[in-house]
Amino acid sequence: MSDTELQPPAPAAYEPPSVLDELPGDLMMWVLIVSELLVFGAGLAAFLGVRITDPLGFAEAQDALHRTAAGINTVVLVTSGFFAALAVRMAEHGRKAATRGWLAAASALGIVFLVIKVMEYAEKASHGIGVETNSFFTFYYLLTGFHAAHVVAGIVILGLVSIRCTPRTVEVGAAFWHMVDLVWVLLFPVIYLLR
Amino acid sequence: MARALHDPLIRAWAWLLALSGISTALAVAVSKGLLSGAGVTIGGAAILILAWAKANVILSRYLGLAQAPFWHRGFRITLGLYAALLLGLYLIG
Repeated sequence: MSDTELQPPAPAAYEPPSVLDELPGDLMMWVLIVSELLVFGAGLAAFLGVRITDPLGFAEAQDALHRTAAGINTVVLVTSGFFAALAVRMAEHGRKAATRGWLAAASALGIVFLVIKVMEYAEKASHGIGVETNSFFTFYYLLTGFHAAHVVAGIVILGLVSIRCTPRTVEVGAAFWHMVDLVWVLLFPVIYLLR
Repeated sequence: MARALHDPLIRAWAWLLALSGISTALAVAVSKGLLSGAGVTIGGAAILILAWAKANVILSRYLGLAQAPFWHRGFRITLGLYAALLLGLYLIG
């Protein structure tokens, strides 16, 4: 046996913390958030791009939307995001009952958002407005419908993380919910408000 | 009440509500004809800037990027460029 074989293994070289360690929550959730933002971002940019070809038609179609209901939905969703953030704080303090309570409150407001959205769609349908009415409403139904589908997914995720309630799972679930919130604060002014 | 306002989460929520209220008020002013001509365009640009501000609040406070300066800066720059793109498309239209 040679001398070199008797030597203890060299200590692992020191590795400085990566910037990835700085990122809050789970990396895969951030990948999902960024990819979702790219999809919605492209959709909103396309909406404004098509609007250039028919600004008057888009303004006229926008008048058929219920701005107050959408404004209420904005308050509902940002408040729901606040509740989800409080759930994360409670989870970090190990308070499971409070965590579940805030998650349930966030989900309940998500359901309120969907009820208002369904009422909005029903009102449009009663006026004979559908996906094929014009370009404005094609984008309107695609973007708001896709967003509403994310709200449904978010409610399911919040329900699942409240069953398996750990600081990590709650943070990941809340991050998805905040992404839904983030998309809405960009979607709401572009579709409902810009003239 | 004063203690609650020192909580960054409560402040973020209050900012989001205030910014959303201002956006909606601007849109209502435009739709009721209280703003006209260049006022409509300026109002629209203000609505987009307010949306950018709201998105920043969600990223920094709700999603916690305020504690990750590198990523916060990256997201802010990307979001700023995207908001500029939307503003450009709006102004062309």
